[in-house]
Amino acid sequence: MKLVLATVGFLLLAQPVGADSYEEHDYILNCSGCHRMDGSGSRVVPSLQAMPELNGKPGAREYWIRVPGAAQAPLSDARLAALMNWLVERFAGKRPEPAYTAQEVGQLRGKPLRDPISKRNELLRETAR
Amino acid sequence: MSRLDRWFEAMTRQSARRVSRRNWLARFGGVLVGGAALPLLPVARAAEKHAVGEDGVKGREGDPSRCEYWRHCAIDGFLCSCCGGSHTACPPGTEMSPVTWIGTCRNPADGKDYIISYNDCCGKTFCGRCMCNRNEGERPLYHWYRNNDINWCGGAKAQTYSCSTAVVVKAAKEAQPEK
Repeated sequence: MKLVLATVGFLLLAQPVGADSYEEHDYILNCSGCHRMDGSGSRVVPSLQAMPELNGKPGAREYWIRVPGAAQAPLSDARLAALMNWLVERFAGKRPEPAYTAQEVGQLRGKPLRDPISKRNELLRETAR
Repeated sequence: MSRLDRWFEAMTRQSARRVSRRNWLARFGGVLVGGAALPLLPVARAAEKHAVGEDGVKGREGDPSRCEYWRHCAIDGFLCSCCGGSHTACPPGTEMSPVTWIGTCRNPADGKDYIISYNDCCGKTFCGRCMCNRNEGERPLYHWYRNNDINWCGGAKAQTYSCSTAVVVKAAKEAQPEK
């Protein structure tokens, strides 16, 4: 009987693990294809692990929503806000304060960046001054 | 044991006495040809439908070397399982692209959606076998994150596309919004 229970337990554990939250599900489905599961990106895709560089800099909060990957993601404003709260905490190491709301995200994604890389360099330069 | 030996010896000697060598060859040939022809019978093809394959899925939807395999719902490319690899591994001499196109497919065995990653294998010329183009939930190029006509080998060392795999990443919370 113990053996049967142990086997059943093992089989239950061996099931594919479900994504733990909608944030993680949305990250895997909409971001991880290019940014990869660990956020490291590739030769052609920016690394999310470089996000701490922008921590606390003015404009970073808005920048992270206006980049093409976030602004154009096929998600509602509420789901994108939840995803970005989770994503910023995970990769920049600090939960956005205050947390993104659906309304704020909706306004920001309405103004997508045409040239995200130069905008990023601009943000970095401004605070270096 | 000796009884078995004696019985077998008796049988062999008896058949050697009664059956001619040509007769035996004819019968043996019949068995060989008949056995090979068995899968052509409708009985065998009907049995295929009920064979349980990969991931507990029955029939062709459970066979990773077929386009109908459930995980291939949004694939566009040559199946690596026909090209010297498998549905989760690249053929020798190719590299799995780190960037990939991701969608969800429903497993018909448990009715749940799973997040599938269609990692391309890159570095050798295109395989050319088992072309499979199902594209369920795929979107045109202007939705680049859900388009599979992009060369996803862009992130690999060599950008030549060879074939595609279908890896389960996780159980999905829901189907992708395009479905």
